[in-house]
Amino acid sequence: MKKKRWLVLFFILILPVTMIACSNSKAPSNADSGSSDGKIELTFWTFGTTGYEKLIPEYEKQHPNIKIKMQNGEFNDHHNKLFTAISAGSGAPDLAMIEVGFIEKYRDAQDRFYNLYDFGAGDLKSKYLEWKWSIGESADRKFLFGLPTDIGPTVMYYRTDIFEKAGLPVDPKEVAEKIKTWDDYTAAAKQVKEKTGKPMTDNVELIYNARRDQAPEAYFDRQDQLIIEKSPYAKKAYDYTVQLIKEGVVGDLNLWTPEWNGSMKTGGYATLLAPSWMNANIKGNAPNAKDKWAIAPMPEGAGNWGGSYIAIPKESKHAKEAYEFAKWLVSPENQLKSFKDAGLFPSAPELYSNPEFNDYKDEYFYNDHITPVFAEAAKKVKVVYTGKNFQLVQGEIIRALQNVQKKKADPESEWKAAIDRIKTQLARQ
Amino acid sequence: MYREGAEQGLSPGLKRKWWTERKKEIFSGYLYISPFFILFAIFGLFPMLFSFYLAFQKWNGLGTFKYAGLSNLRFVLEDPLFWKSIYNTILFGILGTLPQIIVAIPLAILLNAAWLKLKGFFRMAIFMPYVTSVAAVAIVFSVIFSEQSSGIMNVVLSYIGLEPVSWKTTEWGVKVAISTMVFWRWVGYNTIIFLAGLQRIPPDLYEAATIDGARPIQQLWHITLPLLKPVIVFVTFLSTIGAWQLFVEPLIFYHRISGVREEAMTVVLYLWKEAFVNSAYGTASATAVLLFIIIAIFSILNLIFSKNIGRVN
Repeated sequence: MKKKRWLVLFFILILPVTMIACSNSKAPSNADSGSSDGKIELTFWTFGTTGYEKLIPEYEKQHPNIKIKMQNGEFNDHHNKLFTAISAGSGAPDLAMIEVGFIEKYRDAQDRFYNLYDFGAGDLKSKYLEWKWSIGESADRKFLFGLPTDIGPTVMYYRTDIFEKAGLPVDPKEVAEKIKTWDDYTAAAKQVKEKTGKPMTDNVELIYNARRDQAPEAYFDRQDQLIIEKSPYAKKAYDYTVQLIKEGVVGDLNLWTPEWNGSMKTGGYATLLAPSWMNANIKGNAPNAKDKWAIAPMPEGAGNWGGSYIAIPKESKHAKEAYEFAKWLVSPENQLKSFKDAGLFPSAPELYSNPEFNDYKDEYFYNDHITPVFAEAAKKVKVVYTGKNFQLVQGEIIRALQNVQKKKADPESEWKAAIDRIKTQLARQ
Repeated sequence: MYREGAEQGLSPGLKRKWWTERKKEIFSGYLYISPFFILFAIFGLFPMLFSFYLAFQKWNGLGTFKYAGLSNLRFVLEDPLFWKSIYNTILFGILGTLPQIIVAIPLAILLNAAWLKLKGFFRMAIFMPYVTSVAAVAIVFSVIFSEQSSGIMNVVLSYIGLEPVSWKTTEWGVKVAISTMVFWRWVGYNTIIFLAGLQRIPPDLYEAATIDGARPIQQLWHITLPLLKPVIVFVTFLSTIGAWQLFVEPLIFYHRISGVREEAMTVVLYLWKEAFVNSAYGTASATAVLLFIIIAIFSILNLIFSKNIGRVN
C-alpha cells in the first residue's frame, strides 16, 4: 500500500519533468546538427500565405542533405513569438520571415542576427529593388538583416460605379490621365462628393499615408534623430489631409473595422489608396463586386506598405546552409512561383518585364491585367529610412488628424500637441 | 511518542535516523503541493519580481539593461496620458459598476421570487454574457456603436430625435460605449451573486414580518437590503478592482492597439502600449508597479470596509 502511494507520487512528479525534458530535447535539435540520418535540419518560421511549403520539397530534392521544417503562424503570433525568442536568446529558428514593420524593432539588436553581407549577399543586391533592399540594411548600410521577399507597392483602387455616377472616366488609362496630381485628386473628390454624396477616401489614415510615402524622407534621419519639425514632407501630407477633411471628402471608416470591411462591398467611398496585397481583402470582403473595382496608379508616385524579409538569427548553427536556402527561395524565378501561388508581389524587378508575370489575369477587377499597374508603382517607390520609432510617431499624427476630423479641432494646435506627445514618448526609451 | 512508534514499524533496511516517518509525511505533503508552487514560481512569482526589477531599468526588449533609477517612474507620473488613463479607468469603473448594482438587485429579487416559473432557464440566460468570449462581445459592440450615422446605436438615437454620436472619438461617447459593454457582460454575474445573498436571508424573518403586517416594500427596505449590504459591498469592490484590469474591451473596440485613442486608454492598455508598441519595457514595468500599488490600496480599503460591515451585522 505504501509502496504504491510512493509509486503514484513518483509518476506524478516525473510526468511534468519528462514532458519538459521532451519539449526541450526538440529545441536544441533545431539548432544542433539535426536529425539522426545525418541530414541538416533547418527550421523556418513564416506567417500568412506564402506558398513556400510547395517550394521546400523542390529544394530538398536538389539538396538531399538538407531538411527544412517550416512552421507557419498568424501574423501577430509569429512576430511575438520571434521577438520573445530573440529577446530571450533561445528558441529562435534558423530562418525567420520578418515583416518590414517589425524589421525596425531589431535595429538595435544587430548582434542577434547574422550579417548576410558576410555570406556574399552583396552580389544579389542588383537583382532587387533598391528601396526594398535598403530597408533590410542597418542605418549605416553595412549590415544586412534579411533578404527581400515580397513587397506592397501602393496604388489607387477605385469604384467604377461611383466614378461613373460622378461623371469621371471609368477606364483605368483615362483615370490615370485625369487624376495625375493631388490637385486633380482633390478636384475629383469634390466632383464625387457633389454628384454621389460619397466620400472620396475611406479615412484620414490612408490618404495621409499615401502622401507621406511619396516623400524622400520620413520621421527620422539615419542617426535616428526626429526630423519631423525640420522636414517639410510629413507636415505637407498632414496639411493635404486637413484640406480634404475640410472639403468633407474623407470618410470615417476606421481601418480594419467591420464597417470598413463592409463598405468594400457596398461602395462606401470612391477610392482606396492601398497596396497590392489589398486586392485579396477586397475580393474577400466583396466577392460579388466583380468589375466594380478597378486599379489605377496613385497620383504623383507610390509608396510601400508591407512585404517581408528572411533573416537568420545568430542562434542558428547552420547559417551557411540557411543562407543558401534563403537565397534560393527569394530568387526571381521562385518569387514568380510564390506570386502565382500565394499572391506575394515580387521584389525582383526583372520579373516586371517577364511575359508570364504580365499575362497574369484577374477577372475580378475591371482591368484584368493588374500586375503592370503594381509593377509600375513598385518602380516609383523612393528609398526611405523609417527607423525603429516610426509607428510611435505615426500613431500620434493619425490621432491628431482624427481630432481634426471628428472634434473639429484646430489643425495647427493638434499638430503641435502631437509633436509634444511624440517627444515625451521618445525620451523614455 | 509518535516518532518512536513509527520508526519501530519500519523494516531494518530502510531505517535511517534522519529519514523518519514524520519527515517523510512532511516531505510527501510538500511534494503533493509542489506542482502548483513550482509552476507559480516560474510563471507567476518570477515575472512579478522581475517587473519590479525592470521598473528601474531602461530596456527595449533586445539590448542590455541600463540602470535608470527612478526616471521610469518619473516619466510615467509626468505623462498626462497616464493620468488620463487613471481617470478613464475610474470612470469606466463607476459607469460600469453603479448601474450594474442598481439593475442587478431588482433582477436578483425577481429571479428569487416564488411565483417565477422556469427559474433555471432565466438564471442561466442572465449568466450567459459572462461566459461569452470577450473578443466576440467587443466586436459586436464596436459594430453597434459604429461611428457611422448609419450605425445601429445612431439609428436608434435618430428615432428619438437625437444627433448621431461619434462613439469612438468623443470623450463621453467612448465612455458610454465601453461602460455599456462592461455592464452587459457583468450584470448577470453580479445578479447571480446577489441571488446567492438573497437566498442566505432566513425565510422566517419574512414570515415574522408578514405576521407583523409589514408590506412587501417595507420588507424589502427593512429586511432584504440591510441583510444584502455585505454582498453589495463585496460586489462593489470586486467590480472596482476588476475595473483596474480593463483591457480587452477597449482594445478590440478599436480593433488594434495603434487605433486605441486616449479617450479609451485604460491603465493596463497604457502599460501594454509602452511595452509592445513603444518597446519601453522600463516604463511599462514602472506602470505595472504603480498599478500594483493602486490595486493594493483598493484591496486594503476593501478589507477594512468589509470587516466593519461584518461587525455591524
